[in-house]
Amino acid sequence: MAGTLTVDTIQSDSSYASTLNVASKINFSGGMQIGGQDATFGGMRNRIINGDMRIDQRFVGAATTNAINDFVVDRWVVGQTTTGKLIAQQNLNSLTPPPGFTTYLGVTSQSAYSIGSSDIFRIYQTLEGYNIADFGWGTANAITATLSFWVRSSLTGLFGGAFNNAAGRYPFSYTINSANTWEYKTITIVGSTTLGAANITNGSGISIQFSLGTGTTYSGTAGVWSATNYLSATGTTSVVGTSGATFYVTGVQLEKGSAASPFEYRSYGQELALCQRYYEKSYDTLTAPGTVTTSGVVYTTNSSDSAGSLVAHVPFSVPKRTGPTITLYNANFASTTGTWRYARSGVSETSYNMVSLYPGTRAFNCYGNTVAAWTPAYQYGHWTADAEL
Amino acid sequence: MYKLIKNPFGEDNMVLRLSDNANIPFSEDNRDYQEYLKWLAEGNTPEPADSE
Repeated sequence: MAGTLTVDTIQSDSSYASTLNVASKINFSGGMQIGGQDATFGGMRNRIINGDMRIDQRFVGAATTNAINDFVVDRWVVGQTTTGKLIAQQNLNSLTPPPGFTTYLGVTSQSAYSIGSSDIFRIYQTLEGYNIADFGWGTANAITATLSFWVRSSLTGLFGGAFNNAAGRYPFSYTINSANTWEYKTITIVGSTTLGAANITNGSGISIQFSLGTGTTYSGTAGVWSATNYLSATGTTSVVGTSGATFYVTGVQLEKGSAASPFEYRSYGQELALCQRYYEKSYDTLTAPGTVTTSGVVYTTNSSDSAGSLVAHVPFSVPKRTGPTITLYNANFASTTGTWRYARSGVSETSYNMVSLYPGTRAFNCYGNTVAAWTPAYQYGHWTADAEL
Repeated sequence: MYKLIKNPFGEDNMVLRLSDNANIPFSEDNRDYQEYLKWLAEGNTPEPADSE
């Protein structure tokens, strides 16, 4: 039957409050919309990877030092223009997460820092161009999107953030009403037809920023696209301005449409694989790089080449965004990089220098010079591959 | 800060970041390589690769 079914009011009964119950199938032959915008049920409805902060390959739940200015949980950076002001950790302070979540990312301010005009303290994720190209921002086909997230802070008031890339910025603000309470926020962004044109391949598409303190140089009017490099909204709260202040976030979702839908819960394996396009390690998932362990090491037995080089070929579990930075770890000594272990006839097992060779998106090689041509030997060690944006 | 690495055929193969022994490929999309290029543009010079 053609036509449109319009429902003005959904009546409640004794069993269900305000619920539309359908005993048969719903046929969305014309597509689905949320808030007047085309939307999707599945297939990466949420463009944010690790929005619930579950995957933490680098730190495995341990706290960072206050010098952190890089990735904490997978795909999420804690950035400080002046380091030493924040520590960060998955499930910091062991709070009860919001309903439906088991993990979050938290930061604690280490001092009462008065931010300068050019300071930027933030949590952010950069989305790859391939994953945002269909938003059409900066083109005539720009769509409306909605960001939703759970947030909690020891502070209350106006907080800020921004969408930004090289071609446009969109500062936004939201209010935290109650201290130390999880609150659910949504931000709807009308795509610009002239600003914010994103990289549409494997480069940086768009970044989503949560400000922890942003100087005036990088603060602009909320809710307006700008060509100026704004990373937050004007007049928002500085978390780093209060010693001991906390800020927590999880359930971050960016989707098409002008209304937020429930958080898209993906399986652990799916989410880990999405993260591994950007960062992968030989260590077990719950073992931090630099740990002394042979679990998962690359172990090869072969002969060296004529120059005495002993080579290992290492395929990735997931193809990388680009040729990654490789760091090689010694399995026998904590936090020791640049060496693996090897032994050959007449030479007891020892550490020797290893470097990588020909890293691509699907594999890399590495070799160490044993200085004994065509000698059978074995070698082993760990690695990380970083292809982050 | 950085040191060049040669492959077994004597060609410059990668850049070694000395602070953490990270091996950075000559890949323009790699963020660490982009940082290296900025460092070069500031007038810095990497240490030469070890001779074979």
